[in-house]
Amino acid sequence: MTLKDYIADKMPFLITNVILFAAVSGILLLLNMSGAIVFLIFIVWFTPVVTYILVEFIRMGMFHKELSGTLESLDQKYLVAEIMKEPGSAEGRLLYKVLQESNRNMHEHVKSYRERENEYREYIETWVHEIKTPIASTRLIIENNPNQVTRNIQEEVRKIEEYIEQVLYYSRSNNVSRDYQIREVPLPALVRNVIKRNSRDFISRGIAVEINAVEGVVYSDAKWLEFILNQLIGNALKYTEGPDGKVEIRAARNENNLVLSITDNGIGISDKDRDRVFEKGFTGENGRKFGASTGIGLYLCKKLADQLGLGITLSSEAGAGTTVSLVFPLGKAA
Amino acid sequence: MAKIVIIEDTEKIREELKTFLSRYGYEAVALTNFETIIQDTLQEEPQLILLDINLPIVDGYFICREIRKESDVPIIVVTSRDNEMDELMSMNLGADDFVTKPYNTQILLARIETILRRVQGTSVRDTLVYNGLSFNLSNGSVTYQGETAELTKNEIKILSCLYKNKGKIVSRDDLMDFMWNADAFVDDNNLSVNVARLRKKLEGLGMEKNIETRRGLGYILP
Repeated sequence: MTLKDYIADKMPFLITNVILFAAVSGILLLLNMSGAIVFLIFIVWFTPVVTYILVEFIRMGMFHKELSGTLESLDQKYLVAEIMKEPGSAEGRLLYKVLQESNRNMHEHVKSYRERENEYREYIETWVHEIKTPIASTRLIIENNPNQVTRNIQEEVRKIEEYIEQVLYYSRSNNVSRDYQIREVPLPALVRNVIKRNSRDFISRGIAVEINAVEGVVYSDAKWLEFILNQLIGNALKYTEGPDGKVEIRAARNENNLVLSITDNGIGISDKDRDRVFEKGFTGENGRKFGASTGIGLYLCKKLADQLGLGITLSSEAGAGTTVSLVFPLGKAA
Repeated sequence: MAKIVIIEDTEKIREELKTFLSRYGYEAVALTNFETIIQDTLQEEPQLILLDINLPIVDGYFICREIRKESDVPIIVVTSRDNEMDELMSMNLGADDFVTKPYNTQILLARIETILRRVQGTSVRDTLVYNGLSFNLSNGSVTYQGETAELTKNEIKILSCLYKNKGKIVSRDDLMDFMWNADAFVDDNNLSVNVARLRKKLEGLGMEKNIETRRGLGYILP
């Protein structure tokens, strides 16, 4: 707050004083009082007024400085009402009370939303858990009646399972409590698992898989990682055609990171779409052409990777293929 | 024939699992009276137990603990609860393995086989015999009338898949599935080449009649 602002604030007060003084001195001059006396009255009148305004300004300035200092130091700015010193002035105290009251109300509001979200998340978890039972029995029925029809059904059931898994991870990706566990994850086993999960797609569509230099371990959450990798390989498969189609999984160890990349020689992504692939709900040209795109997969991968502290990058050339890389940072000792 | 007891409250899964295990040569018993499930299980004297966690009356953890007091029979916990806590809990209570629903049936089967083999010591199934051809799984060699040939990893997998289904036609797709599940990510051409090589090796040993191709259907070890 500048002095100008402050004076502007006090202007009605000053103007009242000036008008009153003008009236008083006018009367005094009409009564033939000498100018010296009028001037004396002016001094006696305005010295305390100006002093008062200046002192008040300094006090306000100090209060304001302290308050903005507190605000600056806070991560959650809304906590300022809890921390600030109660102001001395009546006006200040009034505002202080209002601020506290509105803050409390806002907290209640936020809390109700948080509870609602948690409830919803718990419901999703239970739902995912429950739907696994009928899926398990469907799988067994298929297994016990092997023929072309059930083989096709099995493929569809597998897709349903993947969508269900996506729901689960979507609900987990928003959670701050972070139910992942960082462990040693051997890369070869991880990659093989995901390839096996997609084996039907690879085989029936005649797409070859090539694993290059995938070795060693990374430190991360195995389940989350498997989910991410499954999405990426699923994407690679979706946008690649047999019989010349190929998906290559390669690991490269650099000085301070390990890069696991999934490269396909599929249709690729056009220049104008490429930068937006990690956006939620973005399907782009390929999504419109192929139809089976929800715009959730890569968005979710990015979100989960961020939480795990992994980098994820995509490069692509329309018509030539796409490479998605997961970047695992390595410590000095690793 | 190993006897497996299934403790599972969903009827459909129980029955299908029973059929499934019977198809693969196990004697499967599905128990349904959850009031007396622990005594019933012990009475059956199974070689292995498949145990669900969410059950009426008492939960799987309790059953696991109670059975462990009486018997060392291997227990595989099968559940749709998929978190580390459940896995840890099962292991602490003495379960031998933990499989989450909806499981891949081939993986479940492999786990059962592994555990049974471990419990029963080295099994006699290390060498398979077919029409005078003995197939040694531990070193991957085949012997026919005193002549021996070494097989490659992929050839071993092809032969063991056809052997498991001997007398039945195995479609190329099924054979590929089997190979991929065993970490051999072969493509269509590779498979043909591998089968051709395997056939040549067997012929080289003097075994004239071996793997046959049924056009449009697949391969068969008659």
